[in-house]
Formats: sequence, C-alpha cells, structure tokens
Amino acid sequence: MSKKLLLAAVSVAALNVSPAFAASDEELKLLRAEIAKMQATYEAKINELEGKLEAIETRQSTANTMQANTVAVTSVQPSARPATAQRPINNSSFNPEIGVILQGQYQSFSNDSGEFAGFAIGEEGERGEEGLGIDETELNFSASVDNLFRASSTVALHEHEGDLEVELEEAYVETLALPYGMQAKAGRFFSELGYLNSHHAHSDDFADRPLPNRAFLDSNYNDDGVQISMILPTDLYTEIGAGAFRGSDFPGGGAEGSDIGAWTAYGRVGGDIGNNTSWRIGASTLQANDVSREANEDTVTFEGDSDLYILDGRAVIAPTGNSAEQEIILQGEYFYRDENGTYEDTDFGTGVVDYDDAQSGWYAQTVYKFLPKWRVGARYAQLYAGDTPAGLAGSALDSEGHDPWSGTAMIDWTNSEFSRARLQYNHEELADGQNDNQIMLQYIMSIGAHGAHAF
Amino acid sequence: MKNFILLFVLAFSVCWSSQAFAKVNVFACAPEWGALAEEIGGDNVSITVATAASQDVHFVRAKPSLLTAMRKADLVFCSGASLEQGWLPLLVRKAGDRDVQQESIGWLMASDYVEKLDVMANADRSQGHVHPEGNPHVHLDPRNIDIIAEMLAERLLLIDRENMAVYQSNLARFKEKWANLSQKWVGDTSSLKGKQVVVYHNAWSYLLNWLGMDVIATLEPKPGVPPTAAHLEAVLARVDNASVQAILVAPYEDGDAAQWLSDKTSIPVVQLPFTVGGDAKATNLEMLFEQTITKLKGA
Repeated sequence: MSKKLLLAAVSVAALNVSPAFAASDEELKLLRAEIAKMQATYEAKINELEGKLEAIETRQSTANTMQANTVAVTSVQPSARPATAQRPINNSSFNPEIGVILQGQYQSFSNDSGEFAGFAIGEEGERGEEGLGIDETELNFSASVDNLFRASSTVALHEHEGDLEVELEEAYVETLALPYGMQAKAGRFFSELGYLNSHHAHSDDFADRPLPNRAFLDSNYNDDGVQISMILPTDLYTEIGAGAFRGSDFPGGGAEGSDIGAWTAYGRVGGDIGNNTSWRIGASTLQANDVSREANEDTVTFEGDSDLYILDGRAVIAPTGNSAEQEIILQGEYFYRDENGTYEDTDFGTGVVDYDDAQSGWYAQTVYKFLPKWRVGARYAQLYAGDTPAGLAGSALDSEGHDPWSGTAMIDWTNSEFSRARLQYNHEELADGQNDNQIMLQYIMSIGAHGAHAF
Repeated sequence: MKNFILLFVLAFSVCWSSQAFAKVNVFACAPEWGALAEEIGGDNVSITVATAASQDVHFVRAKPSLLTAMRKADLVFCSGASLEQGWLPLLVRKAGDRDVQQESIGWLMASDYVEKLDVMANADRSQGHVHPEGNPHVHLDPRNIDIIAEMLAERLLLIDRENMAVYQSNLARFKEKWANLSQKWVGDTSSLKGKQVVVYHNAWSYLLNWLGMDVIATLEPKPGVPPTAAHLEAVLARVDNASVQAILVAPYEDGDAAQWLSDKTSIPVVQLPFTVGGDAKATNLEMLFEQTITKLKGA
C-alpha cells in the first residue's frame, strides 16, 4: 500500500518537474506500477546475484575495495526510481551564469594612417589603438528564464580615445522549446549574417576582423529586433531564418519612427564528409532602408538604401580523426553591397552627391592546429571600392583606382579552452602606397561560466 | 488481476490514441551509449552516435550534422556530469524541442543514476579540467551499465509505449546476459585485484574501482592538461621501484608520454579500447569488456 502511495507521489512529482510530458496522471501511475512489477521480478535475481558476488568477494576480499563495491551493488537494487528526479542542473550553480572575457594586447603600426581608400568606415571598423592596452572586457550573464525562454546579455567595456565606453553588445531572449526545429530570438544580438557576424570577437581565429567585416558591418551588426530560424527536417543540415530590425546599427543608422529599418534573411546547409570533415555554406542578406549614417568620424554621411549580400563557407578537418589533436579550419566570405542614395564628405566639402553603385570584398583564411596547444593561421582580405561619382572625386570615397587589401599571419597558443595568447602580423595596403606593417600581441582569458561556441 | 485488466485497457487505449509511431530517434553522445541503446531499443530505435572512439568526448564541435540529428531526437542519451558541457547544451538550445530539454523524459544522463567517483567538494579551474559533480566516465563498470540499461528501458517505454513489451523483453534478456557475463568477468579478473597502474587521464576510475586496482600515477599533471617533462620525471621517480602492471591509454590519447615512461621503466603501455569501436574487436558492450580484460591481463 505504501509502495503504491509512493509510486503515486513519484508520478505526480515527475509530472510536476516535467510539464513537457503531460500524459494523464492515471496512465503514468499504471506504467510506474508495471515497471515496479517488472523490477520486482529481477529483485529476486539480483539479490541472488548479489549473494554470489558477495561470496566471491569475501573469498578474495581486500577490505577497502569491498566497501566501495557494496555501495555500488546496493544501488542496483531496484526501487521505483523517479524518471526525472534527483538530478543537478548543470552549470547553474550560479543563476544566472556569469562569464567574463578579459582581453589585453600590444599593437604596433608602421603607418600613421589607417584610412580605407574608397570606403567610409564606422568606429568599430577602424584599426585599434597602438601600444599596450586592454581590448574589450566582456561581461556575460545568461540563464534559462523558465522552461520556455533563455536570456543572455553581454556588456562590453572598452576605451576609445581615452574615454571608457560601455556598449550593450547583446541583450536578448530566445525560445527553448518551439516545435519543428524553430527558434525565435528578440532583443539586441549579433544577427545571423555570413559566418563571423554571429560570433563574438573573442572566439575569432585572428586578432582583428577581416577587412570586409570591418568595412561593411562595422565589425559586427548587432541591431535591435527579432529573428526567427528553423532547422529543416532534412538529412542534410539545412537552416533558414529571417529577421526584422530597427535599423540603427551600421550599415543602418538614423532610424526613427515606427518603420522596420532593416531586414535580414539567411539560409545555409552543412554536413559531414566522412568521419573527419565537417562543412557549411550559406547565403545571407541585410537590407537597410532609409538609412542616414555617419562614418569616418562623422565626416561622411550616407542617406538612402544599403543592401548587403554575403556568401560564406567553412570546413573543419581533423586529419587524425581527433580534433583535440590536430585540426584544419578553412573559412571564407564574400560581400557585395549595393547602395542607392547620396554621399556627402564634409571634410572635402563635396556637398550632397547622388550615389548608385556597388562595392564588394572577400576574405579567405586557414588555421592549422599542428599540436594540441598550438595553431598557425594565414588570411588574405581584399576590398573593391567600385567607381567614384564625379562629385566625390578627391574625397574619402575616391579610391583613386586602389583596392584595399591585407595579408595576415598568426600563431597562437591555447593552454585550455579558457585561455589563449596570440601573435599576429598584418601587412595592409588600404590606400595607394599606404603600406602598414602591423604587429599584434594579445591574450584572451575567460573566467566564470563560458558556453560553447557554435561550429 | 485488477492491475492486469487496467494494463490491458491502457495498452489498448494507447494503441488507439497514438498515431503510428516511427522509430524512436536516440541521440547518443558516445559509442558506448549508442551500443546500449541498440541492445535495449533493438529495431525500434534509430541511433545517431555523436562521437567516434577516436575522439575525446570532452572536445567535440557542435557541427552541423549534429544539429540535424538533435532536431529529430526523441531521447538524448549521454554521460552527463558536464562531460559534454562544451557542445551538448549548444545543440539542445539550438535544435532541441521540448522533448529533449533538461528535466524531460527525453533527457537521460547516465551519470545521474550511478554512484559517482572522484566527487569534489571544491573545484577550481587551476586544478585542470575537473568535473566537480564527479568523474563522468561511468561506463567502464558493468554494474553501472546494468543500472543505466534499466533507466534507458524505462525512458524508451515511456516515449514509445506501443512497444513497451519489446523494451521490457530486451531489457530482461540483456540483464540476464549481463549478469552472467559480469559474474564471469569477476572470476576472470581476480588476478588483477590490488595491482597498480599508471593512467594518462582519470578516464579509468570506474573500471579500476570495479577490478580493485589502484592508480599509482597520472601522466597528465592535471586533468585535461597534457603531460609536461617535469611532471613525467616526477612520475618516473614514483613508479621506478614499484611493481606496476601497465600504463593505460585511450585510443584518443597521445601515446608519446606513455611510451617515454615505458622505455624508461619497461612497464608495458596498454591501449585499451575505452569505448565500443575503440579497437577492431570491441564491436559491442560485451566485447568492449572482454577486450579490456584480455588486454589488461595480457600486460
């Protein structure tokens, strides 16, 4: 009788902690009873076995191991174990989980100027500051809100020209349990655009973002809005998604009123080749409308529509089958931006000039982990400025026929998944004859909770 | 009798109410759990094994094919105790529906149901890659496999009630086979009791606890930290005059340090399969234990 009561209690408990399994109380109770019955049959057998085991163990006993064995064997004894009880919630000893990313660096540039010929660059897209300094310090708080939602916010602290700047990088909620492989996200977050944009800079394989991400996305597009995605029920990994945003982050800007300022859409496929290679390729777009954006330290203003299209690809190869030992990462993205509106460069007093043209760029990079802690990498990036309207000749938007490019080599050392140090060399020629040799030395450390990084 | 009638009615109502159930999709994090799911689920389950024996389950990427597998998973069957912390939560968050969230029927972490070893009261990352909840490599003790098989059967029959009888009989058959094997193995391994071994990583705690063997030294200075020269010298000093049966390494572990120690001391390096598929003969759980015991005794 008491056993029945216990079972009933257990069933109720199981239902309470698991709203997802909302089968009828009655059914579950019966199932439990059946399981208990089933287990009772074995109880005899197990007791018998236990007896045998004990007999053997006594014969060859060593007292201390004996004790451990008995503990384990007793736990075999079947009881009406609740299916979902007694389990610790992983990684939530703090609620919310708190993670801090600390970064520091030394940078040295051989050229005084870091201007991009033919492009108007946002603040985050500019090259960093020379000398010793700390890069962004990221504070992340995240946790499941309840059974349906998870929330995360990341605050980045960094200094810009002597002032401490606090940037709310991300502050979003996402759904945990939508059906059909769907997920919705709302708030401010790194949109799914190409490969790198949705990743935090601290997980990058190089010390700085490649040129096209700096020029076209101001390093990161993290606008306020909503995004919905769906993993399709195909054997090949296929994900599609779309978002609607305020349109206030570069390449958007000046969003006001109730309009949706920017739209995104993306699709990607991926899979495995054999046991050792994984890949993904994708296409995405960001359509920003009625933009009014300032760049090049507020000297260049663009007004109009800015449409960006991105293709991205990535493959990860583990030559020995064990990626902890050796790994090769190949990655590349292609950007195409079509803008229609007006540009004005106040530094050169161009006035408002009609603009309808396209600019593009790409990068390709490879990283090779040759020892468990050591990796080397190489990257090449190129931008194409496009034609310059006559009215903008001589301004920041006049590339004078030069297409900015940069070549990069890096080596890094990863002591654990929480610490990394890196040495990087860039050769950039962003404007004609503007050769810039850059040395970057950095560390990235993570303390507290630190979630996994996406593929 | 009353119970029986109720069950009968229940079985019928379940048959009528549920639409034809496709196979139960099991997402197994490691080969040993895939093999166990095959024993208990048989033809009624479709299993995706997320990692191969050549991989270290600590360090796996949340790759696209795993997202696809997670999207259709009805049951996530892993070790737990934060062994898969680096990739599993991401997959579940991104692709898992409510069936496989934590605290649901479709979320089965093996280490939640066994007596864990190496539980730490205080853990700090300066101690290396530690699991404060206890050692997550629970599968190399046959008594744990027995407990986990029961838990798995329970989950499977809750998810796929139509085939309840199949899971029950599969479990019964497996438990009987396993009891006989375990008894045989206890006899087979009596000579190993009290012997000392050197291990690369503390991946063997449950096996050694079961066999009554002792770890005299670990090649990793701290869990998850590759061996250093200074640490190896200390290990060498420690094992030099002791009688050590073997240096144990898993297929995914770097054998160089073990070989170095072996050359200095003539203690044999034994690469155990660690999981199903870890060597050519370890094709299922039974053979995993057979191979492990054969290789240990052969050392």
